[in-house]
Amino acid sequence: MTGPETLGTPPPAGPPPFAAPTPGVHARGVRRSFGPVHAVQGIDLDAPPGQVTALVGPNGAGKTTLMLVLATLLKPDAGEVRVAGFDPVTQADAVRARMGWSPDVFGLYDNLSCIEYLEVMAAAYDVPRHARADRARHLLDLARLPEKAAEPVHSLSRGQKQRLGLVRALVHDPAVLLLDEPASGLDPRSRVELRDLLRRFAAEGRAVVVSSHILSDLEEVADRVVFVDGGRTVGQHKVGELPAAQSLRTYRLRSLDPDALHRALERASVGWVSAGAGGTAGLDVEVVGGERAAARLLSELVAAGVPITAFAPLGGALEATYLDLVEGQR
Amino acid sequence: MRPSGILTVARLEFRLRIRAGRWRWLVAAWFLVLLLITVLVRAAAGQQNIAGDEPALGAVMFGVVVLVVLALALLVAPALAAQSVNGDRERGTLATLQVTRLSAGEIAVGKLLASWGTALVFLAVTLPLVLWCLAEGGLSVLRVAGVYLVTALLLGVVCAFSLALSALLARSTTSGVLAYLTVFALTVGTLIAWGLVTAITQETVRASDQVCESAGNCTPYNYETTLARTDRTWWLLAPNPFAVLADSAPAGPVREIRLPDGRVVEEPLEVDILGSMSRGLHQMRIRQVPVTNQYGTSYQAAEGAQGGPVWPTGLAVNLLLAAGSVWLTTRRLRTPVDRLARGQRIA
Repeated sequence: MTGPETLGTPPPAGPPPFAAPTPGVHARGVRRSFGPVHAVQGIDLDAPPGQVTALVGPNGAGKTTLMLVLATLLKPDAGEVRVAGFDPVTQADAVRARMGWSPDVFGLYDNLSCIEYLEVMAAAYDVPRHARADRARHLLDLARLPEKAAEPVHSLSRGQKQRLGLVRALVHDPAVLLLDEPASGLDPRSRVELRDLLRRFAAEGRAVVVSSHILSDLEEVADRVVFVDGGRTVGQHKVGELPAAQSLRTYRLRSLDPDALHRALERASVGWVSAGAGGTAGLDVEVVGGERAAARLLSELVAAGVPITAFAPLGGALEATYLDLVEGQR
Repeated sequence: MRPSGILTVARLEFRLRIRAGRWRWLVAAWFLVLLLITVLVRAAAGQQNIAGDEPALGAVMFGVVVLVVLALALLVAPALAAQSVNGDRERGTLATLQVTRLSAGEIAVGKLLASWGTALVFLAVTLPLVLWCLAEGGLSVLRVAGVYLVTALLLGVVCAFSLALSALLARSTTSGVLAYLTVFALTVGTLIAWGLVTAITQETVRASDQVCESAGNCTPYNYETTLARTDRTWWLLAPNPFAVLADSAPAGPVREIRLPDGRVVEEPLEVDILGSMSRGLHQMRIRQVPVTNQYGTSYQAAEGAQGGPVWPTGLAVNLLLAAGSVWLTTRRLRTPVDRLARGQRIA
């Protein structure tokens, strides 16, 4: 396995970053202040087409501000930004024709029906008149709301509204998709479906940027992750190469015979620290030495005849890396 | 700015307005109130036989009704537009429109057309009452058309500045209050300003008179008096919507008077309120000078002084206000945003 790929600073000898219009999203050194509040003070982000890029950071890290800059709504104070190859400040219309944006908090027109809402949005995006109805139907299917087509938007549940708002961003078939907290307010089933949708959008060749607090969801869907904190990018990684996967990790162990598990752990050659008993859920153990050590521990336990039913990392590499980063700052 | 974009916004907003709230009831109540007023005006005008033998009853009714329509419409119009932009911001629907291919100008003009169109619905509802006035006689279709055109324009002006206020201010309650204050400034404010400025700018003129103890035994004397120079201050009253409306109304009913020498002259009917207001406004533009002769001093139009219509100036001021408002609204809707007003959110 190679070391973590860090893209926080562009290589000095590389090609000029914006020599030609490149698809996807590229941001370098974006800064934006609101009066005395420095919301974003140096964010770099690359979101190539065909991949889901997660934007992760604590509240107030500047995620939404960056999204607004990418979405052609907010002028950055400094920095270079290209969305679908165009500058959101000077070429806003070209960006808008190719970019879909779904904000963290949004309103819908309560008195329109779902199909009317999507048709209006299609008109606003210059979708040809004859194609609007088909497009709206297709998106309603995608949002699993086909039977709600004629229902007024205000009759939808919160999760259904969230899904309607999400497919609204797709009404003009954009090459770049910016989704700010799309999972908030979604029930578990909808979250699973959202993951599938995001994978599908990426498979269709779109560049998908998604910010979320629900890290376990992101870990399963994202190809890349950009960590931001305090308005700065603190790391860009491929999800398979997250640094935390290499170091200390907590695993939850469960056995049909807890006593046998305890005895086998005492004899194990791998270093570990108890991270507390998970009660009936099992035993939480911090394994020293990362994934390799964990794999060795598991094989030793199995070899000792312990009836293991569960041996799974707690939280996931994304969460662990995130916590490392956030704690490292403090 | 593309017409298709404007239409997209206008249709969306108009549809939302029609579906929201109990606006059918509002229009019905509006019609009933105006019907009641028309009935009362008809009864009063018929009672007094104020029109003499001339068939002018319709013109008399129309004059009163149309002023009431304007007064009530000036109260309705701000409500239609004064929360259009900041209300959308508060509901989180504005940014999702701004991020589409609609330009700021298209959103601004579309929103204006929607609120103006709604105001025109209220105006259109009064047309049956106008038909009644026409049936009563003394009223020309041209006059009705002219008055309605100007009323429609004035309502558009109110919608435009209400919209601009909703784009300028973060809170929809503040913009609502300010929109009503602007209507107040245009209607009552212009009157107060005109009255005060006219009082302050009075001129002192020398006049003379005489005291007569008996016929032929008169002593002339001079005195100083003040003279209002409304010919210098009329423009302060000109933007008043009621002044614009009354003064722009095409010619009203007249009475034919046969003079002793056989000539026939036309004299406007005093009972036609629009005509009376209009004549008063024309008078304001005439410079009065004291003229002294053997009988004393009287005030007459200065030589060469001519009264003129006030409404072109007034309407121009109003339309300028509307144009400025649309420009301002567009500016405030433009994205990407550089500077944010305090308390203003983007999405």
